[in-house]
Amino acid sequence: MTRALLFRAALAALATLPPAAGTLRAQDHVVVRPEPGTPVVAVEVLVAAGPAEETPEQAGLAYLTARVATAPIRPILDSLGAHLTVQAHKDALGFTLTAAPDAWQEASRTLLVALFRDPADSLAAVRERAALRAELIGREASPADALAREVDAAVFGPEHPWRRPAAGFSTTVEKLTLADVDGFIRSYLVPERTVAAVVGPVDAAAAREHLAAFLRGSPWQAPRAEPPAPVESPVRREYSSITAWIAASYPFPPDVDEEAVRMLGELAVEGLSFGPSRRSVYNARAEVVRRAEGGELRIQIVVPPREVDAWAGRIDEAVSRHAEGRMAPSLFADRVRRFRGLRLRELDTPEARAQEAARELFVGAQGRLADLERLDADRLLAAARALRPATLVVLGPFVDGTPAAND
Amino acid sequence: MLLLALTLAAGAGAADTAALAPVPPPAAANAAAGMVAVHRQPAIPIVALRLSLLADDPPGYAGAGHLLQHLLLPSLREQVQRVGGEVQVTRGADAVVYTVVGPASELDYLAGVLRSTLRQPSVGEAQLVAAQRELRDERGAEWETAAGHVRALLRGRLFPEELSPAGTPASAERFTPEAVRSLWAAMYRPERVSVVAVGDVQVGRVQDAFARLPAPPESGAVEALADTVAAAPPAPPEATRGWIGLGWSAADADPAAVTVAARLLRDHLRERLPSASVEAEHWWTRDGQALAVVVAAQPAGLPAARRAVGASLGSLGESLDAGRVRAAAAGVRRDMLFYARRPERMADVVGQFIDRAGQADAAQRFYADVERVDEDAVRALLAQLAERTPATVDVPPQKIVNRTP
Repeated sequence: MTRALLFRAALAALATLPPAAGTLRAQDHVVVRPEPGTPVVAVEVLVAAGPAEETPEQAGLAYLTARVATAPIRPILDSLGAHLTVQAHKDALGFTLTAAPDAWQEASRTLLVALFRDPADSLAAVRERAALRAELIGREASPADALAREVDAAVFGPEHPWRRPAAGFSTTVEKLTLADVDGFIRSYLVPERTVAAVVGPVDAAAAREHLAAFLRGSPWQAPRAEPPAPVESPVRREYSSITAWIAASYPFPPDVDEEAVRMLGELAVEGLSFGPSRRSVYNARAEVVRRAEGGELRIQIVVPPREVDAWAGRIDEAVSRHAEGRMAPSLFADRVRRFRGLRLRELDTPEARAQEAARELFVGAQGRLADLERLDADRLLAAARALRPATLVVLGPFVDGTPAAND
Repeated sequence: MLLLALTLAAGAGAADTAALAPVPPPAAANAAAGMVAVHRQPAIPIVALRLSLLADDPPGYAGAGHLLQHLLLPSLREQVQRVGGEVQVTRGADAVVYTVVGPASELDYLAGVLRSTLRQPSVGEAQLVAAQRELRDERGAEWETAAGHVRALLRGRLFPEELSPAGTPASAERFTPEAVRSLWAAMYRPERVSVVAVGDVQVGRVQDAFARLPAPPESGAVEALADTVAAAPPAPPEATRGWIGLGWSAADADPAAVTVAARLLRDHLRERLPSASVEAEHWWTRDGQALAVVVAAQPAGLPAARRAVGASLGSLGESLDAGRVRAAAAGVRRDMLFYARRPERMADVVGQFIDRAGQADAAQRFYADVERVDEDAVRALLAQLAERTPATVDVPPQKIVNRTP
């Protein structure tokens, strides 16, 4: 069997096994991917709550609430050998739980009771608020964090709730109260805003029934977000750092070919990263964020301040040249061969697959993983052409005396 | 990457062994070389391939195996990156190990990359100098931090025959391009090679991919020389906390009981020393086993920490009950599962047990043995260890002098 056939067969198995064996309907807001050979069970719970449910003065309340709700159960999870991480996205709170097969049901039950049934614990609220504030003070001193904040503000617009970081600011978090947290729990940590994915050595029906007990009778409320209102690009912000940070955010529509966009991001980063002809690039990275109403490809590089203008142009070249024409077949074959490996390795843990499955359910996407096998130069071209014009943000010490724009 | 020994830490995150109870034992087949073991995980079309060569560094040439790995690593990385994969090299007490991970569709390609590590190396002076420098940095890194320093000292006392996989300054001077070729000829035999594959692959395909290994080079004799090590360790690290290391040889003990005991000891000492950093580890190498404790405490808490660590076996025995042992065993098994959830880590765990025991299901049997460890077994082990004089290491905190202008 040739390499290509084997890959296609393997991906077909991946794409078809869950639906045949127990992938559930989206309206049940639980998806299960049985994986008999995987040693642990991963559960991803996404709750549609974030900055859109906060006032500006409450920035970070959603994330603080998530941490307060889960802090009291950590000793229980530790005793079960389970691992829990909590993440704040713009559109959701993510709870990623991994546990041994003999402990996952108890661990997930503990988590869901904590989220949906337990009141806020006052001691946990005080501790988590102090801890989060200290973390944010550290983060706010980082140019990477500053860039992310500026890009969000530019991409979403001054009035949009997503312009604020999902974790909030140290100055807002420190003022949040137990009453704020308790109110948020009651209003927003609710089953109708929740989807869940289970990945691992589980029986599909039993796993579904186990989680559905907490979600039964609650029709899924798909999240709706205000449309972004990006500011005029480019945005330049003075920032006291040795290096200059540049980010370009390319919005894409909901029906975009996400895997092709990911490959596009990877190709752009390859063309921008440090190399023999690019010795002044300190760092380059790409990120694709998928939301219900579309998403964005965000590319970021770090360069010397004197080279800001040159590199700002090169970011766009690195992306837009893939929209000019179809890549030559031999070159595409070489590039997609590498991209497939990188992409598959991003999904090599059960928790990464659970996160992917939950996100698909959350945004209403279907079977993206299967799209890897049919990725071709035409799809890459179409994805590049589907991107909307970028919003460019530059952060750094401007050595040419040019005043910062959009002040 | 340098892995000095199989360290079974009684906690998450370190090199724990596999939990294979939820999955069937690996399918094994004798290939042209040693063994091929496959753990099928069809969840995602990825494969991790681990190739290990059982080989000692020839006497007088400590570090030879790991030097060869450093010589090959740049080329391996470049080849594997073409398919979006990753390569790791480790030098354990038993074997020279190469692990690659990438798409399952690239099985033949990745196997070819691994087979290439078994060919006689062609070494240039510049290449050798670069690899020597990397080994020298690794030798230094072992001793650089307090945590590493304490462990290195303890290991030296518990396993005096064991030399660092990064070699010694004296052995490094013996590596010339000609010597490297002769050393490889002395170390490589196809029958000492074993392969573990974890992922969306079948045993027959993996067997085919490794059916033909390079023939061993013709001449394999290397003059045996004496290994020398420094009489005194490097200067102690600069640490603001005091560090205590205690290790008991557990040469003839049941490995499963030692692992569970390490977990119990860790939890016990963490309860007693809540403001200290406590690790308890099961060290298991071809030179024997040991139960090691490493504690870091602030200066004010150091006397209490020393007392607690010194009396830990006895105090643990007093607090022991069947429930705690069961919970510790369950914790060890769950940590193993968590560690092995990535294909390359599962391959690492299965492979280390194969290297040591020569059997495809050795990791799974160990996993089952851990569940059977009971209170009596742990008590017997603690009693056994209490009769032995432990190796000790004590690194005091650095005195920081406040100079006001």
